[in-house]
Amino acid sequence: MSNRYDINDDNALVIDINHLTKNYVTAAGQITVLKDVNLHVRRGEMVAVMGPSGSGKSTLLFVLGLFQPPSTGDYQVAGVDVLSLSRDQQAIFRREMLGFVFQTCDLLENSTVYENLELPLIYAGVPRRERPDRIREALSMVNLDHRVHQPSNRLSGGERQRVSIARALVNEPEFILADEPTGQLDRENSLRVLEYFTKITEEARTAMVVVTHDAMTAEHCTRKCVLTDGYLNG
Amino acid sequence: MAIGKRKKITVAELDRIRRRGAGPMRYYDLVRVSVREVMRKRRRYIGVLASIALGMAGFIVIITMGNDLKKNFNNDLDLLGGATIINVMFEPQNLERQEWFRDRTLEAIARIPGVLDITTVTLKTSAVTTWHDRLFGFNLVGCEANYWKVFSFNAKAGRLFDQRDVDEGARVCVVGADLARQIFGSEDAGIGQTLSIDDNLYTVVGILGGVRAGDRALFVFLPITTAKARVVGISQPYSAYVRCATWDDVSSVSKAVPGVVKANQIDRGLRVNVAWEPLKQVQRIFWWVELFIYSSIVATMILGGFGIWNIMMATVTSRTREIGLKKAMGALDSDILYQFLFEALCVTLSSSVFGVILGRVGIEYMSRMLGSRPPEGLFVFCLLMGLGFAAILGVGAGLYPSIRASRMQVVDAMRYE
Repeated sequence: MSNRYDINDDNALVIDINHLTKNYVTAAGQITVLKDVNLHVRRGEMVAVMGPSGSGKSTLLFVLGLFQPPSTGDYQVAGVDVLSLSRDQQAIFRREMLGFVFQTCDLLENSTVYENLELPLIYAGVPRRERPDRIREALSMVNLDHRVHQPSNRLSGGERQRVSIARALVNEPEFILADEPTGQLDRENSLRVLEYFTKITEEARTAMVVVTHDAMTAEHCTRKCVLTDGYLNG
Repeated sequence: MAIGKRKKITVAELDRIRRRGAGPMRYYDLVRVSVREVMRKRRRYIGVLASIALGMAGFIVIITMGNDLKKNFNNDLDLLGGATIINVMFEPQNLERQEWFRDRTLEAIARIPGVLDITTVTLKTSAVTTWHDRLFGFNLVGCEANYWKVFSFNAKAGRLFDQRDVDEGARVCVVGADLARQIFGSEDAGIGQTLSIDDNLYTVVGILGGVRAGDRALFVFLPITTAKARVVGISQPYSAYVRCATWDDVSSVSKAVPGVVKANQIDRGLRVNVAWEPLKQVQRIFWWVELFIYSSIVATMILGGFGIWNIMMATVTSRTREIGLKKAMGALDSDILYQFLFEALCVTLSSSVFGVILGRVGIEYMSRMLGSRPPEGLFVFCLLMGLGFAAILGVGAGLYPSIRASRMQVVDAMRYE
């Protein structure tokens, strides 16, 4: 297993995907959704993956998030061959190294902002006395530290998405995956969210992959890739 | 700033994290999250909670009060058949060979486990009295003050003689109802009258009443001390009646009596008479009643269990996306499994707590009704049994839905609409 990842390098390669394909077997036969995909994302980079509906964006996101394995190819995160990990190892890897921001900003029902951010810390086994500070720090990154005990169903759409970002940050991930993070937000809130993304990548040097079909979101990214008919260009 | 601090992770590190993560604090957190989840969605659990609580309360009341109930039933049913009264007697022999009960023998029998009371009688058949020049024949019984209690007799009129009358050898008598009507014209008319029996005068203090008094409607009863001292030709106490606490004790007591008698005196001609047929009928009736009650309780609990299973399955389905989200955040399969299992346990255990409270109220109410006090240890035992059963029910009913939740694929859960 390769582990050449340099912890002190501010531009170290975090995501290293080579010749990745993903096939689905359907009643109509085998469909190849991702074809020979190569993606390399360094620390501090925010890469936009664009493409029309059905181009394989979601599939790429699920593979990147270790939700499903590719059919062939190599995939390393921070020097670890994540495809060789067991189911439990992948779950631990996800909570230690990855953060997710979803389009529908899935916050837990009937819970407060604090409880939403506490859950990843519980899974990571972070001691209870350390949690309030970690949660406040993550919320302060998105300027929501004053809303820590607010019920999540009383937040606006923009605030919910910011909580979702804070939750992705709370476990101090090496890279963040965002799926249409501004898809349900108005322009003003979208700009604020993208500013936070920029801040995270610049200040924390976290790598980020943003799956989107919104041009404005893509413009805020440091690099733009387009997925067409399963091929990733850019 | 901690966010953005550099991390390097290896496979060995992942395994080390997995081992470290399985500490008690993690389970404490999972329990806390589960309890919070159940509390916030408590409305959906109310029906199941009530079903299990009622079953649990019934279980605790029946088990804790069962023995007192049985004794009470015993008392009521016994009035009809005397199923728990054992007659122990020495068969009539030649005069010099006739045996009768010695005091130490009676005391030893009273100490046999399951014996509630014992009383002995002396008898003279064909005693006579005259009233207004008419002659009346009857059986004359000398008995102790507890005779009435053993046979559940009461006074139809007047009173039954008591221990003081026995101790003092009072010249009082209790008359059977039919005999009283024959002699005095009515039952009440005899109270306070004086009867001459074998040249001794006795004041009639009461008329015998009770469900089984019909068997002794033509008897006259004297205190045993009076009978022994004043009635010529009355027998020695060769017959005794043993009352058992419940019908379950009859068999063991009847088996133990011969040995106890033999250990204390000569047992020549000893006979133990048990009303086996009424006893079996009572036992059969109660067996069916018990079966019905326990079946109802078990059915209630099982229905509660199915309710939990059903609700947990619905919960898992409705929270599919949440499960996916938690897995995306790094929850292990075991984290999801334990969370749903703890939620099921939380429902069944809180139901059982309500059941225990309801059961306690039921016990207090029944204790007052029956005038008895069940042992506190039995209640604690039932409480622990109930909690144990609730835990089994929770795990049993919640296991499959929890396993289903834990094995869910992240991608399927995330795509679930």
